[in-house]
Amino acid sequence: MLNHHMQLAWYYFTQEYRQPHQRLLRWVQAILMVFIVTLSLSSNTIQQYLQGNLQNLLGADAVLTQKNKLTTDQFTSLTNSSDNVVTTMQISATLTFDDKWQRSKLKAVGSDYPLQGKLLTSSSLQSPPTVTIGGPTVGSIWLDSRLFASLTISMGDAISIGEQAFIVSRVLVHEPDRLMEGHNVAMRAIINVDDMEKLAFPTDLIQYRYLITASKPQIQQLIVWQQAHLPAAKIHHKNGSHPLASFWQRTENFLGLTSIILFFMAAIAIEQIAQVHLKKEQYFSAICMSLGASKVTGLQLSLLKWLINIMLLIPVVAILSGFFHWLIIGWLSESFTEISWQLELWLTVKTIATCTLLFAVFHSPVWLSLWQTSVAKLFNQNQKTISLAFIKLCALVVLILVAVKYSDNGLLTLMLVGSISITITLMIAISWAVLSLGEKATQQFSGLIPFSLFMMKQRLLSKSTQILGIGLSTFLLLFTLMLLNDLGNTMVSYQRTHDGNVMVSQASQSQMTAIEQWAQEHDISLRQTKPYFYAKVVKINNQTLSEFTQKPSDSLATLSNAIRLHWSETLPKNNSLVQGFWWQKETKNWQQISLEEEVMTDLGLSLGDKLTFIIHQQSHTFTITASHAYKPGAGSITFWVQMPQTAVQHINAPHYNMASLELNEGQWPLLSQLWEDYPTIRMVSLQELTKQFDNILTMITKVISGFAVMIILLAIIVILSSINALEDKEKKKNSVIMSFGFLKSTCLQLNVIEWLITALIIAIGAIAGTYLTGTLIYQSQFSLSYQPDLFILIITLAIILTTVTLLGVYASRHSLKSSVKQLMADV
Amino acid sequence: MTCSIELKNVSQSFGNNSSGSLGHKKSTSANMANKNKAATITLFKNLDLTINQGQSYAITGPSGAGKSSLLMLLSGLEKPTSGQGNFINDNQLSTLDTLRSDIGFIFQQFHLLPELTALHNVALPLKLRGDKHAISKAKHWLEKVGLSDRAGHKPSQLSGGEQQRVAIARALVFSPKFIFADEPTGNLDQHNAKEISDILFACCQENNAGLIIVTHSNAMARKAQHIYSLAGGELTKTPSIHVTEKQKVTKYLSTEEQQVASC
Ligand SMILES: Nc1ncnc2c1ncn2[C@@H]1O[C@H](COP(=O)(O)OP(=O)(O)O)[C@@H](O)[C@H]1O
Ligand SMILES: [Mg+2]
Repeated sequence: MLNHHMQLAWYYFTQEYRQPHQRLLRWVQAILMVFIVTLSLSSNTIQQYLQGNLQNLLGADAVLTQKNKLTTDQFTSLTNSSDNVVTTMQISATLTFDDKWQRSKLKAVGSDYPLQGKLLTSSSLQSPPTVTIGGPTVGSIWLDSRLFASLTISMGDAISIGEQAFIVSRVLVHEPDRLMEGHNVAMRAIINVDDMEKLAFPTDLIQYRYLITASKPQIQQLIVWQQAHLPAAKIHHKNGSHPLASFWQRTENFLGLTSIILFFMAAIAIEQIAQVHLKKEQYFSAICMSLGASKVTGLQLSLLKWLINIMLLIPVVAILSGFFHWLIIGWLSESFTEISWQLELWLTVKTIATCTLLFAVFHSPVWLSLWQTSVAKLFNQNQKTISLAFIKLCALVVLILVAVKYSDNGLLTLMLVGSISITITLMIAISWAVLSLGEKATQQFSGLIPFSLFMMKQRLLSKSTQILGIGLSTFLLLFTLMLLNDLGNTMVSYQRTHDGNVMVSQASQSQMTAIEQWAQEHDISLRQTKPYFYAKVVKINNQTLSEFTQKPSDSLATLSNAIRLHWSETLPKNNSLVQGFWWQKETKNWQQISLEEEVMTDLGLSLGDKLTFIIHQQSHTFTITASHAYKPGAGSITFWVQMPQTAVQHINAPHYNMASLELNEGQWPLLSQLWEDYPTIRMVSLQELTKQFDNILTMITKVISGFAVMIILLAIIVILSSINALEDKEKKKNSVIMSFGFLKSTCLQLNVIEWLITALIIAIGAIAGTYLTGTLIYQSQFSLSYQPDLFILIITLAIILTTVTLLGVYASRHSLKSSVKQLMADV
Repeated sequence: MTCSIELKNVSQSFGNNSSGSLGHKKSTSANMANKNKAATITLFKNLDLTINQGQSYAITGPSGAGKSSLLMLLSGLEKPTSGQGNFINDNQLSTLDTLRSDIGFIFQQFHLLPELTALHNVALPLKLRGDKHAISKAKHWLEKVGLSDRAGHKPSQLSGGEQQRVAIARALVFSPKFIFADEPTGNLDQHNAKEISDILFACCQENNAGLIIVTHSNAMARKAQHIYSLAGGELTKTPSIHVTEKQKVTKYLSTEEQQVASC
């Protein structure tokens, strides 16, 4: 029996193969699947690449830092709630060679280091860096190139720390866990953990850093555990407070969001097409039944036909999307050499299966109606059953579940679903309002516009599906484009247009002049310079620091050493004013300062408090008149304490400078020359860090533009398919109008007016929806503040109006090829 | 002031490669039928016909004879392969195009717009013409065809006969000079068919509209003042029992229907 049905289904499948509604379904399904699979594959590769890159910058999913070693119990708890733990230690130590000495960060690692990312070392200062697994062996030490310069040491020499000697065996180029250590410009050296134990430093000077591999929930668990059991420890994690965290979050969320949007668009397209199929299949099935077949047969035939269709599509889709994936990867690998194409069978299968399920779910109203069909329906085709609405609702629920599962960001998906439902409600309300009010307002006038309004109002129900279909995809398109644009702009603020890849943390006035000359000579761009004094806080409101506050804090610890006191006439571009007033230019009242916001809160200071500094053995008292905070986008050099420029005349102390320089590939060797001439300039090369970071930025920019193109294409497909869904009705309407003695040109005019009104409703709805979604999603998911630009909105409105109208009129040109004769022939 | 439509020496034939103005959906069956036939089909040759406003004409004939095609020529919607169609108004000759807005159609399939109520379907042509009294005029016409109580119903809620009555009201509401009806009762049972034809003839008569009706029903054809039959490419006039329209209608109507039918 089933075999027989298979044959029958195959027969009808081949019969219907060339029919427009089947062709449309086939094309739309194929295009959607190819799109979704290609995008999934590509975004997976990209995500992996970015993940690798991030690992190179962070070195771990989380890092637990504390002054003491964890007890065995604590360590067991740690390993229990994570996948892997690597212990490292750090201390500030003095390295001596011959009679030279240098303070530096000394790090101790074992053979299990690094945890994630790549440790880069080289065998000499000249040779290229290679990926290294495991730290130095016992008795040897690796130094960064600055230490080689400052101690004038060479490979194989013996260095002493405390009483022990270490053989210098490699150049340390990049430690993957650097970024999570925070901003730190000290010179760096690595030894083996066992040696660290032997050196027997006082334990309270050693900082233990545990690098941890853990999932998001595990990290949450760890944070809770740390707060309960190790309040003094600190956890830095991937999604937390490192400079790239919000950037990374945005990228992840963006990729997630696009995949959800793709699914929604696909669903809209299939839903619209299903409406055409509903009638055809119902008719077909009713004919079968009138010829004596059972209801089940009709249903089975329809199911089998659909299955055959999908089965034939799948190999084509798999091959095509594999090919497109290969093309995209090829294109990307031109700039990112680490990317290579791989056959991702499992992901392909998974995505195709998800798509098929989604298509089936949104096609299911057709089958349900077949189940409910009867010969009687042949005579009376106008039924709207509640169960049809119900199954559509179910389909929506399935879609949401699939989207949540697929994007693994439930909150984001639900937010999007929320905004979509708000937008739907909005669009329904707007359509109703525009059409009703429009009709009322124009009742007194004669002409085609009032007529169009009247007709649309009358056909609100069938029109509204179309308006919703097009409106939703326009809304999704608009939102994605807006997000792309804003995200792109935010990315630009991450670009190091102000920061270079070499950071100078201390250069005296004469050294600074030398750097400037050197930079000019070799055409090296000096991106920022900022002057400062060294100053030490001795009193707050006439109390010593320890009298003033007992509460330990980072700020207090830092303030107990000399800090950098910066001066500037105006508020620096990378600062924003949080409290108080910035001083006037050339103010006579020079004894005022602005303090960083966090320091203010940490120490419990407020405006009007007085700080006494020792600057070059002289005491100066300043009043806090303002408080500032760091603002990204204009360079990263910022200061905790700032005073008016005029203060400089009253303080007699050596000037120092912070600066950042950008060197290109070929200019790196020049750096050692500068260093040899001025060994006391304190600077650090961020070459590896910035390279990785620049890579990520370029990648994101490419991805963003690629996605924009894809989503625009997809939106066009959705719009065309929803226009196609109403084509038969439109055709009939046009024929009927012509039978009243009107010309084709009247129909065309009506068509244009109708599309203009439709486009207007859609534009208002989409813009309002985008606005709402922006306010809802921007802050929470992308840490962007949503500031819609009125001008841009109006431009967008105009673009949507013309595009939808043109597209609509173009796509409905078929329905204008109608004639009265068709009405006669229509049997 | 009377006008008339005049076909002079017209022939109509179709080429083989003809999906033409027919939609693809329907063309499949038409194509298949055509393929077996000769390269060109000639429906009729050298045909002459004059139609006057205010009179009624019936065209009968077997399926496929070209009746619908003849209606298209008369209404000026299609051009004949050879020959000429003219519109004569007060002895002034013009092309049939000028008549476009003065023609109403009634179809076998009714072709009401499913989203509109009966009233709005009737008001449609007036609305399109910008008539401010569209709704009241439409109400009046619904009353005339006896459907004033169904004004708010959608076509799907109306029976075939009722739908056709709405269609008649819709065709006449803008006072066209000619009404073309292509098998208007082809989808209806006898009782309904009779009712519809009574209403149709009565309304056209009252509005002084020329009625050209294609029908397979002899009963209906007999009500027309002029009866033609189209077969084998020949149009022949059949003598008609000439009773005045008014008498004929009243004779056929039962008492309660009289009010409805006497427009
Ligand atoms: N545009 C066309 N192209 C080709 N053949 C046509 C066209 N219009 C009508 N015909 C053919 O002309 C014949 C007469 O059609 P029609 O006028 O509808 O006949 P009737 O209404 O008398 O049944 C049919 O065989 C039909 O297939
Ligand atoms: Mg016909």
